[in-house]
Amino acid sequence: MTAVELSGVGKVFNAGRGDEVTALTGIDLTVDEGRLVSLIGPSGCGKSTLLRLVADLLPPTSGTVTVAGKPARRARLDQEYGIVFQQAGLFDWRTVQRNVELPLELRGTGRAQRRDRAREMLDLVGLGEFAGHYPEQLSGGMQQRVAIARALAVHPPLLLMDEPFGALDEMTRERLQDELLRICARTGTSTMFVTHSIPEAVYLSDLVVVMSPRPGRITDRIPVDLGERGETTRQSPGFFTGITSVRKALRGPAAVPAQHEPATAVER
Amino acid sequence: MTTAVDPVVAADPTAPVATRRRRRGARGVLGLVLPPLAVGVAGLLLWEATVRLGRVAPYVLPAPSAIWTEMRGNADTIWQVGLASGANALVGLVVGTLAALLAAMLASRVRFLAEVSLPVAAALNALPIIALAPILNNMFETTSSIPRRVVVSIVVFFPVFLNALRGLREVDPIHRELMDSYAARGWTFTRLVRLPGALPFVFTGLRQASSLAVIAAVVAEYFGGLQDGLGSRITSAAANTAYPRAWAFVAGACVLGLVFYLATLGLERLAMPWRRAARRD
Repeated sequence: MTAVELSGVGKVFNAGRGDEVTALTGIDLTVDEGRLVSLIGPSGCGKSTLLRLVADLLPPTSGTVTVAGKPARRARLDQEYGIVFQQAGLFDWRTVQRNVELPLELRGTGRAQRRDRAREMLDLVGLGEFAGHYPEQLSGGMQQRVAIARALAVHPPLLLMDEPFGALDEMTRERLQDELLRICARTGTSTMFVTHSIPEAVYLSDLVVVMSPRPGRITDRIPVDLGERGETTRQSPGFFTGITSVRKALRGPAAVPAQHEPATAVER
Repeated sequence: MTTAVDPVVAADPTAPVATRRRRRGARGVLGLVLPPLAVGVAGLLLWEATVRLGRVAPYVLPAPSAIWTEMRGNADTIWQVGLASGANALVGLVVGTLAALLAAMLASRVRFLAEVSLPVAAALNALPIIALAPILNNMFETTSSIPRRVVVSIVVFFPVFLNALRGLREVDPIHRELMDSYAARGWTFTRLVRLPGALPFVFTGLRQASSLAVIAAVVAEYFGGLQDGLGSRITSAAANTAYPRAWAFVAGACVLGLVFYLATLGLERLAMPWRRAARRD
């Protein structure tokens, strides 16, 4: 079974009005189970919109979105995915533990099981001893790890991440990338990851999906296979090859000056 | 050599240093209380000296020592009438706050009501509500405490309503999307996100309201009605040219206002432990 399947998906905002915007058009994309697929592209290419269509936070204008074999709406109601945004979005008035418990609480999970599961998730992100703290007492990186623990609390088969490490410093960011890979490997979670960092996309992904704006569409798909990531991966030739091909793809059709226009049409 | 590893820094080297606990020592408390106390005492001394050396007439400004003598001589009365005024202020504060919270919750749920109520509430808030006191006094018997309490409730209503409504309407867009992703809406959303998120706003309103409640309870008595509170004593002492005694009751009202304000602050800390935790660190 595939984790996510999009076919012929399009999204138009303010349809029929003067300020009509075609955010996405003709999106076909499959995320295989256990894989990490990242969406990369300049701002306005619709990558966050695409993620929200999968999350059923926005309805598509055309096409179908299937998550875990169900229509997106059903999947949302069944909590088939966990979502993490650029801001942690924790609730200030709940302790770290109670923040992680929230999705379980809404599912009607019993108190004891809730507590155990939250503990398990906090240990997974290495914050077990901060369970009793309030979010404001944690650093940005720690808050983002709590948000990841919260997203994973219901053991969803799919994790949706919208530039989750975008607001963090480089060091924290690299550490959290490794942590994410470790967690996904351990839990078998499939992941859709929106980013605008090329190295981040290459380092994390099995597949990098390159997008382009006006109208938002997929212009390239670059498979990456770095194997087991470790200390040396970020210096490996494979990593740099991946970065180069993603960079080329990003420069591709959309950024090419006017005289190359015919080539663009051929590319499509 | 022993190296103590800070658990916070060990878990996350980029954690802010502020996360390490620092408790306020005895010296810290003194440092907090002493300066304003010193300024207060110096002010009183200056006042005393000005009145004595400048030979200011007592009906213009009595000396603090004279007021203190009156306060001690009338301690029982001040306590009794202070209790009466305090009860009026408290009942009005509770009733007004509850009404304001209910109205704010209703207005925040119905878009039309919110749009209409904000400008209307702001306009009504600009009215000198205390001016309603004589009208209300005539509506009830002269032995009734209700008019003063109604005035207090109305005065309290607006700051609580305006702040609570703002708090209830301001929801972090990320929280909204997150709760959407959990398919949580309606009352669940209100209970888990709106209400706790509005608490800081509600307490901002309540802090303003608590001082206003005491002022309203005291001043409402200037316009008649039952005369058993601080307001009536201030007017009657002033009418009898017993100025130091009038000032003694004013000082009583001042203390009552402080008690209300501090009680609200205490309630705020109890209701929002997460704020205290963040500040302590």
